[in-house]
Amino acid sequence: MTGRVLSLAAILAGTLFLPLGLRAINGALPGAAVRDSYLPSVETPRPREPFDREAANAVREVQPQFVVIGDSMAGIRIDPLQLSRLTRTRVIGLYQQGSPVAYWYLAFKNLVVNNDLESVRGAIFFFRDDQLTTQVQVAPGSLDRVALDREPELDRLLAAERLGAFSGVHRAARVAYQFDRTRLWLEPLINRAPAGSPELLQAINTEVFALDKLRKFEAADLAAATDAALDLPASVERSLLPEIIRLAAQANIRTAFIRVQRRPTADGPPPQSAALKKYADDLKIYLIAHGAYYADDWGDPDEPLSLYADGDHLTADGRVRYTQRFAEKHAQFFQ
Amino acid sequence: MIFHSLDFIAFFLVTLAAYWALPLRAQNVLLVVASYLFYGWVHPWWPVLLFATTFVDYWSARRMTEGPPKGGPSQENTGTDSREGPALAGPQQSRRKAWLWISIVSNLGLLGFYKYFGFFAGNIAAAGAALGWHVPDVTLRVLLPAGISFYTFQSMSYTIDVYRGHAPARTRFIDIAAFVSFFPHLVAGPIMRATNLLPQVERPRQFSAAAARDATVLIVWGFFKKLVIADNVGVIANKVFALESPDFFVLWAGVFAFAIQIYADFSAYTDIARGVAKWYGFDLIRNFDHPYLATGPVDFWRRWNISLSTWFRDYVYIPLGGSRRGPWRNAANIMITFLVSGFWHGASWNYVIWGAYHGLLLVIARLVPRSAKREGGWLFRVAGMFALTSVGWLIFRETELNQLWRELRLSPVASTALGRDSGLYLFLLAGLYSVPLWVHDLWAEFGGPSLVGAVDAEEAEVHWPRVAMQAVMCGLMMAALLTLRSSSSLNFIYFAF
Repeated sequence: MTGRVLSLAAILAGTLFLPLGLRAINGALPGAAVRDSYLPSVETPRPREPFDREAANAVREVQPQFVVIGDSMAGIRIDPLQLSRLTRTRVIGLYQQGSPVAYWYLAFKNLVVNNDLESVRGAIFFFRDDQLTTQVQVAPGSLDRVALDREPELDRLLAAERLGAFSGVHRAARVAYQFDRTRLWLEPLINRAPAGSPELLQAINTEVFALDKLRKFEAADLAAATDAALDLPASVERSLLPEIIRLAAQANIRTAFIRVQRRPTADGPPPQSAALKKYADDLKIYLIAHGAYYADDWGDPDEPLSLYADGDHLTADGRVRYTQRFAEKHAQFFQ
Repeated sequence: MIFHSLDFIAFFLVTLAAYWALPLRAQNVLLVVASYLFYGWVHPWWPVLLFATTFVDYWSARRMTEGPPKGGPSQENTGTDSREGPALAGPQQSRRKAWLWISIVSNLGLLGFYKYFGFFAGNIAAAGAALGWHVPDVTLRVLLPAGISFYTFQSMSYTIDVYRGHAPARTRFIDIAAFVSFFPHLVAGPIMRATNLLPQVERPRQFSAAAARDATVLIVWGFFKKLVIADNVGVIANKVFALESPDFFVLWAGVFAFAIQIYADFSAYTDIARGVAKWYGFDLIRNFDHPYLATGPVDFWRRWNISLSTWFRDYVYIPLGGSRRGPWRNAANIMITFLVSGFWHGASWNYVIWGAYHGLLLVIARLVPRSAKREGGWLFRVAGMFALTSVGWLIFRETELNQLWRELRLSPVASTALGRDSGLYLFLLAGLYSVPLWVHDLWAEFGGPSLVGAVDAEEAEVHWPRVAMQAVMCGLMMAALLTLRSSSSLNFIYFAF
């Protein structure tokens, strides 16, 4: 009987203690300098890109009155120079392609609110459908350039969202085994090994699996996939939106949130489910109640299909037209 | 609740601690409560269906075996082997049959409503449109309850076995509820028979450290297969099957990745289920026996999803007449069985075609002379069967029929240099992740001492070299789980069925 119990203990001990060897492997391998993460609840110490002080300085030099923040949806719609001319204000764009809301939040906090800017009057955020309240996850390292040494609000939110009630267990496991550090070198090693050359990997990513090679999603499938998450009251408090609004109010900066129109069909605006419509209505009520300016491009007759290049992106001419129309349509925000 | 979550690990530990502190009857009550909690974790209305299935089948079986009319055979002596039910007086037999049909219709009705309603409505509307009639395409916006195909089949097998006289009807509802809802295998099998699992529910169970030891190895191996192998190769398969016009080599690399994914994924669920059940003192049957080392179609189906294939054999193929009514009828019975089996997997034509394809392979295999089947050497036959199985997986994975037809006609001659290189890369990457799976299966196939799962859990002496090897393996698998777990956590594939 004792032997059987001991054999069970041996298996459990092997399972739990052998992976501690990862620490020794990490320590023995040469690598980039490791720093504490600004998200200690969800990441172990790892090499990181430094905060982009040059960008912060550049913003400070311009002393903008309005900042436009977002991913390619913002970048492909608003030309900051053109908007500056049209509104007779100083406008800059803080764009990062494919960036999550967490990036916008940090850019707003660290490059605008806490960057000794004296003249900022407004921040304009562009977003797609439910992006403001549902897109919380971030890839390791993707926020490095806009993050300071500590980002407690983002850390708390990500820990709650990603790890739920067991964030303490996750944190303890990360600290004990340091598996994130092993993963940083091991995963790329495995993925590169069969390729032979980096050029092939590059070609696979950019040519074989290019966006235009993928099947078109059916609208119905897309709607069904999103509808389940479209619950504003349930998601807003788990998102960064309240923190963005709080920061802006604290710094006396007006905020505008612009929901972009997804690619329309030849017959008109893209279909949106009842759930999405309700979500958009709820979001509008929420933002206006919190003193923000809100606009929804959905169904705008001035955004026909001919303005679009690919996906939800506009053409170069479309960008000029959109910026012009934006300045006219939302002139009151720039007063 | 899903196995690969901390929610489940906490649930498992708390339930387990309480379970072994209770007497048998209370253990069964706890199992039912825990199973309903497990099943209703995300969708609280799902347990209502589970309860309905359990209650109908419990009640049907009870009514089937209620005391016979004066002078009739006693309940305990109601036949054993007859496939048509025990020899009873006319009214008694009619009543038994009626209750059996109530059970079958209610189970299949539930399954049909949630799983096949949209399929039939859509096809009727499409057929109507083809004839120029307007038939409204009614769509149910109801989520398919996970595991419904598994537990309805398991529950139905109980009433069929009672009808046939293979199992007595149980009087304690809680035992039947524990049998139907037992959470380790509730969502994706293995499908257990009443004759196997119910006696385990009813008899006293004792904690065994040796069983727990082997259970732990099974669980770690299952998590490794799911999170390291299946999820990583699943990313490759998903990317390839998202392409509009894949290159020949890229496509087949994706099919290879899917073949690995579905085996690693499904067998992982079974291993975790078996391991978890062992901690509670239950033995679930093995559902996979190294299926990619099969040398032919018949061999494959003896090794793949064993609990489901034997279910269809015993409850569909044999009642249809099996091989007893001549070669033509036998071929027809095989085809019917596999068409139904394909349809069981999902409400889509590609599953029906997949079933037909495997049925056809089996019919052809029966026509091949025994001597010819042994030609070509073991490796050749295994590789040949794996290639045939992979064609089946393409049919299984590709739900768009037009796309499937295009892919089946792809030619390697039209491939580009980038297509060839990319295909080779994806194939090697999937192969690299699957090395532990192949090594394990080859090791076990050629009689190596089992390193995963119980072989002699109750042996008097602990075999320490094996335990040491298992401990090291578990440590390595855990390290791999921590470092190589795919960032795209995918659901178990068979949850969808």
